[in-house]
Amino acid sequence: MAVREIEPIDLALDRLELMAESGYYNPYTMFDWPEAIEPDKPWMSESLTTLAGTPMWDELTREQQLALTRYEAINFFSLNIHGIRELLSEVVMRIHDRTYAGVSEFLHHFIGEENEHMWFFAQFCLRYGGKLYPAQPSLRADSVEHLSAVARELIVFARILIFEEIVDHYNAHMATDMGLPVIAREINRVHHQDESRHVAFGRMIFVNLLEQVAKRDPDEVPLVAEYLESYLTYSIGTLYNPAAYRDAGIPDALALRRRALEHPARLAAHEQILKRTRKFLSKVGVGRELVKR
Amino acid sequence: MNDQMRAVRDFILQRNSTMDTLSDDLDLIDSRAINSLAFVEFIFLLEELTGESIDPEDLDLDDFRTLTAIEARFFTREAVR
Repeated sequence: MAVREIEPIDLALDRLELMAESGYYNPYTMFDWPEAIEPDKPWMSESLTTLAGTPMWDELTREQQLALTRYEAINFFSLNIHGIRELLSEVVMRIHDRTYAGVSEFLHHFIGEENEHMWFFAQFCLRYGGKLYPAQPSLRADSVEHLSAVARELIVFARILIFEEIVDHYNAHMATDMGLPVIAREINRVHHQDESRHVAFGRMIFVNLLEQVAKRDPDEVPLVAEYLESYLTYSIGTLYNPAAYRDAGIPDALALRRRALEHPARLAAHEQILKRTRKFLSKVGVGRELVKR
Repeated sequence: MNDQMRAVRDFILQRNSTMDTLSDDLDLIDSRAINSLAFVEFIFLLEELTGESIDPEDLDLDDFRTLTAIEARFFTREAVR
């Protein structure tokens, strides 16, 4: 990590640290895990499944629809787990580094809470789904080698922020969906509560690093915007897992995935999922309007 | 070139608008013609074209490095396992 090229990060995090302390809970004892989940209940809100709003959903039998909510819930929680694995490894390598000394107190809360989230997501998947979906393959020779050290640093925290904001769109909805089993609703509710602090922190550190990028070379900002746009598209794509379609007994999973991703109802849904993030990126000056097509 | 390899080429060219030519031996990964964010979609395309599933936890990157390697691994008679 080329920390010398990055100015020390100092943020006003007292309020977030106090909230993390006063809201601390024991995740290992706070949930009441039932032996099994009622078979007639969806595990994920039907309106949040990847076929919602399309004829592809209507063509499914009720059994397939319920199975899809189950496997897409397992996919959603698996994505959370793999996303947390990535962000933890990045943040652990930065805590108490000179650049991050000013925010290390908050990073302790962040790392601890993320580890706990990973635990309860994995509990749900393994208890009720019997598995996690594997992480999608990634290439270590990454897509950011053309960027400066400070821009690459920004991308690390941008990926964390975008991932958290997308997940929170789902959590916020499912936290109050009374049609879901209690345990599914509770996990979403608790996660939503903690993530509001993480998103607030993520936005602050994003703005700090973006200012550093713009100060060093304003011409690099559109390149960052281009990467972020690709990352948003990539993130949406991960929600459409053909393995979940296959597990739900739906044939031609890959062709279905392609059709679903392009369907106008889904494109509108993607805009909703990304609305808050896009608004933020545009407001701070790194939105998709900077991307040359 | 068969239709499957044409689809593979189209996928890469569509995502690399500044690329005029695509040689069979270009290192697609080192040149970032297929980058990390596009790799998952590329795997799904290969799965759809071959009808064969690819285990994301058991990949040999060299199978994806050049068009020649992709054709040999996925689209020749010997590739059928």
